[in-house]
Amino acid sequence: MSLIQDVAGSGGPDPVPGPPPLSRKKKGSRGLSPGALFALRKTGAALGTLLFVLVVNFFLFRLLPGDPIGMYTRGRNVPPEQLAELRAELNRPALEQFLTYLQNPFASTIDSAQFNRPVWELVTERIWPTLLLVGTAIVLASIIGVWIGIKAGWQRGKSFDKVSTGVTLTLYSMPEFWLGMILLIVFGVGVFGLPGIFPIGGISSPGVDTSTLAGWLDVAWHMVLPVTTLTLVYLAEYALVMRSSLVDEMNEDYLTTARAKGLSDKLVRRRHAVPNALLPTITLIFLNLGFTVSGAITVETVFSWPGLGLLSYEALRGPDVALLQAIFLLFSIGVVLANLVADLLYALIDPRVRS
Amino acid sequence: MRVSRRWHVRAALAGVIASVVALPLLPASADESGTPSPAAGGTAEKTVFTVGITQDVDSTNPFTGIAAASFEVYQMMYPTLTDYSAADFSTVPGLAESWEESEDQTYWTYKIRPGLTWSDGEPLTARDAAYTFNRVINGDIEQTNYGGYTSTITRAEAQDDTTLILYVKKPSPIMYQLAVYILPEHIWKDIDAKKVKSYKNEPENGESVVGGGPYVLIERRKGEYLRFAANPAFYGGKPAADEVVFRVYKNTDAIAEALRKGEVDYANDLSANVFNSLANTDGITTVPSVYSGFNQIAFNMGAALTDGTPIGDGSKLVLDPQVRLAIAQATDRQVLADKVYGGFATPGTTVIPPLYTNLHLEPENQVAFDLDAANATLEAAGYTMGDDGVRVSPEGERMSLRLLGRQESSESQKVVEYVKDWLGQIGIDVNVRIVSEDTLYEKVGNGDFDMFEWGWVVEPDPDYQLSTFTCDQRSTEEDGTIFAGLSDSFYCDEEYDQLYEDQKLETDQAKRAEIVKAMQQMLYDSNAYVVTVYYDNPTAYRSDRWTNFTPQPNPDGVLLFQYGTWSYQSIEPVSADSGGSTSSGGGVNPALIVIGVLVAVGLVMGGVLIGRRRTSDDDVE
Repeated sequence: MSLIQDVAGSGGPDPVPGPPPLSRKKKGSRGLSPGALFALRKTGAALGTLLFVLVVNFFLFRLLPGDPIGMYTRGRNVPPEQLAELRAELNRPALEQFLTYLQNPFASTIDSAQFNRPVWELVTERIWPTLLLVGTAIVLASIIGVWIGIKAGWQRGKSFDKVSTGVTLTLYSMPEFWLGMILLIVFGVGVFGLPGIFPIGGISSPGVDTSTLAGWLDVAWHMVLPVTTLTLVYLAEYALVMRSSLVDEMNEDYLTTARAKGLSDKLVRRRHAVPNALLPTITLIFLNLGFTVSGAITVETVFSWPGLGLLSYEALRGPDVALLQAIFLLFSIGVVLANLVADLLYALIDPRVRS
Repeated sequence: MRVSRRWHVRAALAGVIASVVALPLLPASADESGTPSPAAGGTAEKTVFTVGITQDVDSTNPFTGIAAASFEVYQMMYPTLTDYSAADFSTVPGLAESWEESEDQTYWTYKIRPGLTWSDGEPLTARDAAYTFNRVINGDIEQTNYGGYTSTITRAEAQDDTTLILYVKKPSPIMYQLAVYILPEHIWKDIDAKKVKSYKNEPENGESVVGGGPYVLIERRKGEYLRFAANPAFYGGKPAADEVVFRVYKNTDAIAEALRKGEVDYANDLSANVFNSLANTDGITTVPSVYSGFNQIAFNMGAALTDGTPIGDGSKLVLDPQVRLAIAQATDRQVLADKVYGGFATPGTTVIPPLYTNLHLEPENQVAFDLDAANATLEAAGYTMGDDGVRVSPEGERMSLRLLGRQESSESQKVVEYVKDWLGQIGIDVNVRIVSEDTLYEKVGNGDFDMFEWGWVVEPDPDYQLSTFTCDQRSTEEDGTIFAGLSDSFYCDEEYDQLYEDQKLETDQAKRAEIVKAMQQMLYDSNAYVVTVYYDNPTAYRSDRWTNFTPQPNPDGVLLFQYGTWSYQSIEPVSADSGGSTSSGGGVNPALIVIGVLVAVGLVMGGVLIGRRRTSDDDVE
């Protein structure tokens, strides 16, 4: 994670001043608005990135040394013929494997060497818990974080600002797994004679039907600690970025103008300052959305959350090339898509970008 | 203005405090009121035994799963012909009540218990067993897990409902212990060779998976837990615990906390620290549990392919038996057991651990820790001390060796440091490198090492472990790529190989044990491995809820994850209502939660509204 200033500074996409004047003249003949052109260009770039990832992904993991099959079967009585058969797929010429892979990277025929099952089946089993956990945390963190950031930035130097900046800086620098462990010990295990209230781990209690209301509440109860951990860590970042960009805006002339017009302090903040200051924060939120799929590996581990985090760690063992490929493809798609959405949204809320 | 903002803050704070205060109270009050929790499914009288596991079961289909926990599940779900006794791993009746090798040693007859049924009421007969064996013998995917057991069997035949005949190519002692799970033919005949790989074998529409072991699988949530119900049709009788739950946690610390809290009843594979901290907890009993694993320092005894072509870059120094002997003399196994394993280990000798009392050999001419003797051994073999405190071989080579340790194991990393230190004292310079297990596997297979630290878990049948020292298990080459065999020491000795073949054919178990012991002595004398320790499996369980575990072997062995399902069959709840509370530690009264949330939301809303009103007043001003 880079410094806060960096995040704030480079958070936005390139402020490209839109299409050159020449194309603007031809606007009518093409039938495309600058906005649509901008969207098309960004989408094209995203697709290009994905294609690149697809290719690099394939060859990158094949550079890793190792005999995964031998590793996985170590200590087990597997006949040699069976070993040869298990190795057959990985022993095919790389180019041949690549062509099969390109035909359909999402094919259900691609098997994990470790689990001897289709990789996408494994991945889809794990994706929902991660989306639930990280998604909830990001939504909560962005609402609370932005709110804190606005409050603190607007009252710069006041006590709320001092306290909140102190707290958020502490949270921001705190390793999430450590915070998770502290919360787990205090609220899960219980300290000083207090009983532990929340479960040690997992997403639901054995035997609870999650399709019922009781089941939903049970899941919500299991979510409290991991979501709190992630929310605290994420909100710190949002609050700090929001605060610093609002502080930047506060010296702008247009705010003085707005005040001179006699607008109340609240209106100046809500209608003028905040919308402009929100830009880097929104970008940051959407960039982080891309990382929801990759999940919070360490937090998932602390709370035994059955998400993608552990699967990616397990895939590294061996290495399980097919599984690694699938997971990284999924992560890349997540990040690229989130970037694209951030770009497009940026254009929507900041007219300067699409000019 | 100021007032308003304070109000905002105050209101929000009130809300937060309210929710923080309200939430903790809920489950506590739920517990106190004794309301049946949703976790118990509203059936409080059910006894549930919950086991914490760190590695999820990868598949409940016995043909596709490979994780250790999966095999625990299979033996709960399905019977095998014979079992390993809890007392000493000798062969005892399982699904078969007796077995016999034919006079001419061409087939074996197994008498299946009469009158059995599967959990769905269909008859369980020798025909199911014959079906299962033939399926493995003629199978493809089916071979992966069980091919090692059926390689000598040519075909299976059910003469009648209680008589199973297995025809063999050669006499084999493996016929006493065929760890092939007998499956219900009426279910599996519909799952052909194509379907078997993706067949999940999980409960569907609330129907349990049809089985014949002590428990049947009734629910599975991947990455979370598996639930089993006692099988009344089991030949050993219905077990006392109504349900067994395997619950997945991602680390043993979490399981230990869950045990302390009562979310689980059993935890194993604990670190020494965690074990000691649990030892003084009320209601929890800790047992070190003798385990079947050993760790070793292995040497590169001349890495080669099966055809004898040398590979790798191993040092010539460790080819000298005297050097290996000196290293063995300079390794204080007792210190390793005490300091590195926190006392949860015993010094090691041979590759068959002592818990296999029928097979383990206490070797003759044991090497004791003695640095002076080690120095003398090297001196006598012509390795003279150099000026820098490092010896020089008779050929003039400086005694410098590489030692690889494992990233995954903190014990491994400590052991290699100890060994480095001791070898330094006898004039051998050691370069320690810590690598991941897959890197180590790769390096060892290619012969690119001098020494490394790793270990094995040894099955009750010694064949697999002994095979790791045969010439045939050295590496192989295919299209320029070298594949590791099972051998990681590249030990290769004709006499040993002959003994290995002999024990493979010896169906008299006492005679076989003699051969196995002779092989252990050979390995011990060669110092191919310096077996450092036999490590324990520190275990803790809720003795306030469960009693009557059956250790394997008796009396100090492991309580669960055995070769067999002894403890699942024998455990009993301490009192009628104690066992059922197992997972209610994980239960909350939903009604109270709803009330709590509503109160918290109400407070927040109220606070915000008050704040708002003040603000608008300010604005008007």
